[in-house]
Amino acid sequence: MGVLMVIIGIVLVVTLLPSEEKRVKKRVHLLSEWVSKSPEENPITMLQKMKDIGSLFLEHCELKAPNESLSGSYTRQEISAYAGSARSHFSRIDFRFYDLHVVFPEKEVAKVTLTARLIGKSTTGEQVDEIRELECLLKKIDRKWFFNQIEVIEVLKK
Amino acid sequence: MEPTYPNGGVNVCWRLRYLFSEPKRHDVVAVRFAGSQVMLLKRVVAREGEQVEFRAGRLYVDGKEVEEPYVRFPCDWNLPSRRVEKGCVYVVGDNRGMPIEGHHFGQTSKIRIMGVPLW
Repeated sequence: MGVLMVIIGIVLVVTLLPSEEKRVKKRVHLLSEWVSKSPEENPITMLQKMKDIGSLFLEHCELKAPNESLSGSYTRQEISAYAGSARSHFSRIDFRFYDLHVVFPEKEVAKVTLTARLIGKSTTGEQVDEIRELECLLKKIDRKWFFNQIEVIEVLKK
Repeated sequence: MEPTYPNGGVNVCWRLRYLFSEPKRHDVVAVRFAGSQVMLLKRVVAREGEQVEFRAGRLYVDGKEVEEPYVRFPCDWNLPSRRVEKGCVYVVGDNRGMPIEGHHFGQTSKIRIMGVPLW
């Protein structure tokens, strides 16, 4: 009876506790959720989301984006401010990730490749539909995963 | 890929098309990103080793003008000549009426070609 209880306990722990891969995916999906914006978003929600976006990144994060002016090292505050500024140009944003693939190249480091798609409407009424492939490095600190590097992969090279 | 394929249209990707052959010029192909959930439809205009360029909206491959009957919108693109790298094809959409800066095109690895639209 005791052995059976131990086995049931192990099965419950394994099935109910999220795996590291699920934890990483959840953190990544939070970014898409917080970047997204509904037309009814009020200023308080906007400020909270800006803060939330920053909290997903390490104190310093590297952005690599060939052919775009974003490349460089940014602090968490700079990323928050940039996200806030970029979001303010849109009345609606639907930001989604597809085809997430997570590997762990070393301990406490996760590499995620994914397709990011942003569909939105600018404040001037222009429709936007952009797709990029991203490679993200996340580091685990105090049992939480944080973005440490985001690279835009060049799928089509002019 | 407007006007050949409308934006937001539904299609099916025939993934076995290039099992025993290579993409040819003028083929419409599906180019994948990180996986198979999101793909772009593009037209192959040049193959590996070929020089590709645009002059006043006209496509030139290895210095010769290529007829493109599928391009229906007026185009004024200019792009200096470049050689398509090994293992790659050069793909462009049919909607050339938009500014060159806003159009997603260029060379891509053949590994990213998932197949062709079924219709």
